[in-house]
Amino acid sequence: MIQLAILSALCALALLGWFTARSKARLFARDKVSTWSRPEYHAAHLVLWTVLPALLGWMVWSAIAPSLVDAALAGLPVAQQLPASGFERAAILAEARVLASHPDAGSFYPLAQELAAPIRELRARYDLIGAVLVVILAFAGGAWGFSRLRANFPARTWVERAFMLLLLMASLVAILTTFGIIASLVYETGLFFGKVSPIDFLTGTHWSPGTAVGDDIGDNFGAIPLFWGTLYIGAVIAMIVAIPLGLMSAIYLTQYASARARRWIKPMLEILAGVPTVVYGYFAALTVAPFIRDLAASLGRDNPSTESALAAGLVMGVMIIPFVSSMADDSIAAVPQAMSDGSLAMGATQSETIKRVLIPAALPGIVAGVMLAVSRAIGETMIVVMAAGAAANLSVDPLDSMTTVTFQIVQLLTGDQEFDSPKTLSAFALGLILFLVTLVLNIVALRVVRRFREAYD
Amino acid sequence: MTDQVILARMEQRLAKRHAAERRFRLLGLGAIVLSMAFLVLLLFIMLKNGIGGLDWKFLTGSDSTDPANAGIWGAFKGSLWTMLVTLALSFPLGVLAAVYLEEFAPRNRWIDMVEVSINNLAAVPSIIFGLLGLAVFINTLHLPRSSPLVGGLTLALMTMPVIVIASRNAIKAVPPSIRDAALAIGASPVQTVVQHVVPLALPGILTGTIIGMARALGETAPLLMIGMRAFVATPPDGITAPSSVLPMQIFLWSDEIDAGFVQNTSAAIIVLLVFLLAMNGLAIYLRNRFEVKW
Amino acid sequence: MSSHPKLTARNVDVYYGPKQAIDDVSIEVDSGIVTAFIGPSGCGKSTFLRCFNRMNDTIPVARVTGTIELDGQDIYASGMDVVQLRARVGMVFQKPNPFPKSIFENIAYGPRIHGLSQNKAELEEIVERSLTRAGLWEEVKDRLSDAGTVLSGGQQQRLCIARAIAVSPEVILMDEPCSALDPIATARIEELIDELRENYAIVIVTHSMQQAARVSQRTAFFHLGAMVEYGETDEIFTNPREKRTQDYITGRYG
Repeated sequence: MIQLAILSALCALALLGWFTARSKARLFARDKVSTWSRPEYHAAHLVLWTVLPALLGWMVWSAIAPSLVDAALAGLPVAQQLPASGFERAAILAEARVLASHPDAGSFYPLAQELAAPIRELRARYDLIGAVLVVILAFAGGAWGFSRLRANFPARTWVERAFMLLLLMASLVAILTTFGIIASLVYETGLFFGKVSPIDFLTGTHWSPGTAVGDDIGDNFGAIPLFWGTLYIGAVIAMIVAIPLGLMSAIYLTQYASARARRWIKPMLEILAGVPTVVYGYFAALTVAPFIRDLAASLGRDNPSTESALAAGLVMGVMIIPFVSSMADDSIAAVPQAMSDGSLAMGATQSETIKRVLIPAALPGIVAGVMLAVSRAIGETMIVVMAAGAAANLSVDPLDSMTTVTFQIVQLLTGDQEFDSPKTLSAFALGLILFLVTLVLNIVALRVVRRFREAYD
Repeated sequence: MTDQVILARMEQRLAKRHAAERRFRLLGLGAIVLSMAFLVLLLFIMLKNGIGGLDWKFLTGSDSTDPANAGIWGAFKGSLWTMLVTLALSFPLGVLAAVYLEEFAPRNRWIDMVEVSINNLAAVPSIIFGLLGLAVFINTLHLPRSSPLVGGLTLALMTMPVIVIASRNAIKAVPPSIRDAALAIGASPVQTVVQHVVPLALPGILTGTIIGMARALGETAPLLMIGMRAFVATPPDGITAPSSVLPMQIFLWSDEIDAGFVQNTSAAIIVLLVFLLAMNGLAIYLRNRFEVKW
Repeated sequence: MSSHPKLTARNVDVYYGPKQAIDDVSIEVDSGIVTAFIGPSGCGKSTFLRCFNRMNDTIPVARVTGTIELDGQDIYASGMDVVQLRARVGMVFQKPNPFPKSIFENIAYGPRIHGLSQNKAELEEIVERSLTRAGLWEEVKDRLSDAGTVLSGGQQQRLCIARAIAVSPEVILMDEPCSALDPIATARIEELIDELRENYAIVIVTHSMQQAARVSQRTAFFHLGAMVEYGETDEIFTNPREKRTQDYITGRYG
């Protein structure tokens, strides 16, 4: 609970600084010396100087402390019993760390129990050092801030500048995240392509990473069946469900439904998008898949699989309906009324106007909506994990079981893993491809929508 | 003048055209009904299977290998801790970023990049965030695996863009006259935004945040990546303890062979859906009650 | 007035929700001439025009009472097919609204959906005839596959007129057809209207009194939803009977 102690200390120092600075600043006002800023800003200024350097110091210390603990631990006699390197060493150390903080947790390795106590001591020692460091920084910062306090000091400007810096850094988190995603994916993929050739990966048709040993492991990392399964389930079957239902729903809502009906039905369609995918997945596994299996059996198939592409694709399609219908709705509504008036005034029926004038006019927006829906579908994980299979199958039969990129990512990374094996690295390679494909789909779709909107303004 | 011939040809087609019109309209209605029917079927089956399992023991018990004793309290507590971390990170970051981008950011290439990043991140599949969490939080920073801390961090990265986008729209909706009035009295730009604009945009910001959090509550895939998949028998006591979350518990139970778990899984789904309904309902209530139409 | 008017309206009221837009208007419109509806903006002339082809039906809050007849048949009767009515009563709108299709397809749209042509040759003939009657054929005959939207404003409006003509209507309703066009294009359209009146009953809504005086044979003056005066165009403009008409014509209010 050293963290709590540090936090309380910082809070106390901050409060102290606040009141001190504010009283001094109020003295200025009493002495009729004109101040640049109100006392609260002087107080805030001092608090910032007290707290920020200390927090920064604390963050840096927290980042390097575990490595210091590890280094110190490696020097201890008890640590010499650890295996030299590799998976087991990492596992024992990991468990020891957990035991150090939660002595009641379950334990697998007896050595980990022995290591727990030294780790706890080392941590306590380094935490203390860190705490002292933080308090020193707080005092130093506070003193510096206090020394700058005078009547004509533009405290408000400084405080606002600090605020703006905070805002800017918050915005940069987004870039950091994107950069982090790209960097980690590319890095791990790079490692992967060091072990398996990209050509084998992108063009091979045999996927069985579990049996990948020896020299020509590249033969077992052919990802084509995965791409095929992903597209077949997400871009074909799901779209066969989602496009007609989504488009016709949007047409009915914009052209035929009364305003009141629209107000109720539209949110209800959105509910489809709000149901967690794990619920859809369970529904698919519990009800839809057995139903399809029975259907397949009655159609004369012998030994139909419970995990079929059709089951997963169907449920995924239903989940995607709001994506298609929402974009289609917006696109159709964006077509100027004058266009449908022109058609109706010539004696066309509503459906003729929709089919021959409105939909062609709204088509770019509708296509963009479909692209976004496909992007969402191929990135979907839980439904396929629970209802589709692990079999990397290059088949066109929807009743067969197929696997997808997302399923494999989950499969490859759960359970015990060494972090350097081609198995785990391949998951990152798959992730990179998924990221790039969805990114391209999204960018193209948004550009299409933007150009389409401009045409109608 | 309308020819008799022309009139006759028109008459011939009229019946077919009106029939086509009726069919088309029916098709549209049918599409909506079919979509809704699927949802209703799903809810019905979950209720049928799970309502019997919703008792006090279920709601307060922890996971167990025996379906009769298994409860969701452990996973629920884990969800709470995780949501806490997610909210604590994504809400301030999201709102601050939105304020900056809407009110203060200059128009240049870097800011464009930030905006593009945010819009793209909002559409990245959730499993990619899981990969990021695995690579950075677990393997590089050695944070405790399967903890609400790492889960919350990962989900926060995923939720932040959603909050940014919703907050930006809310801030954009505040009319310029408010800002002008504040500036004219002598408030600084920062004071104007913090003391005048943001309070007015708050309902929209909160609505967007609640919706973002509801989405995070139901997420499973990224948490699979960071290891929250394990069987956790004791409820977590803090954000660094190994734990599970409610959707993950549903996923784990769905894999069980024992048919007794069907009831548990369905009951847990009911609990999850009730919570999501409550959160979305709260968001809609907030929006209707407090949103000012300028 | 002739004994067989093309269009008749008797005691027509139009309501947009609770607000009344047209108050007890009765009028008879003949074939072979151009009838103009004039009046200050917001007086209801466009609303009234839209009654004749039941375009007010597309507005959910609009309610029309009274009787409107085409060739003696009540157009709001249950036996009257709206689709057929709108082929017999065509409309040209204020802002040209060509479909996002080629010039040919714009004109061919009406004949296609109504099934007016039995083969491709007939369809091409209809298109050529309509474009010729609208005075556009020479300008576009070599580029029929170009999009309708690449034409100039005046050409687009003539395209819309040709489109309306293609289904062989008996009446053409024009709702301020020149207000979005420059003076030269306006003059051409006005010439066209004069040629067209030979074969169709034309009703034109215009906010320009000069245009009404130039183009029409009969004029109806609307004010605040009521029809104040209706008569021969010369009479209305030189010797109106109502004071309100007089005030409007002399520019007392616009």
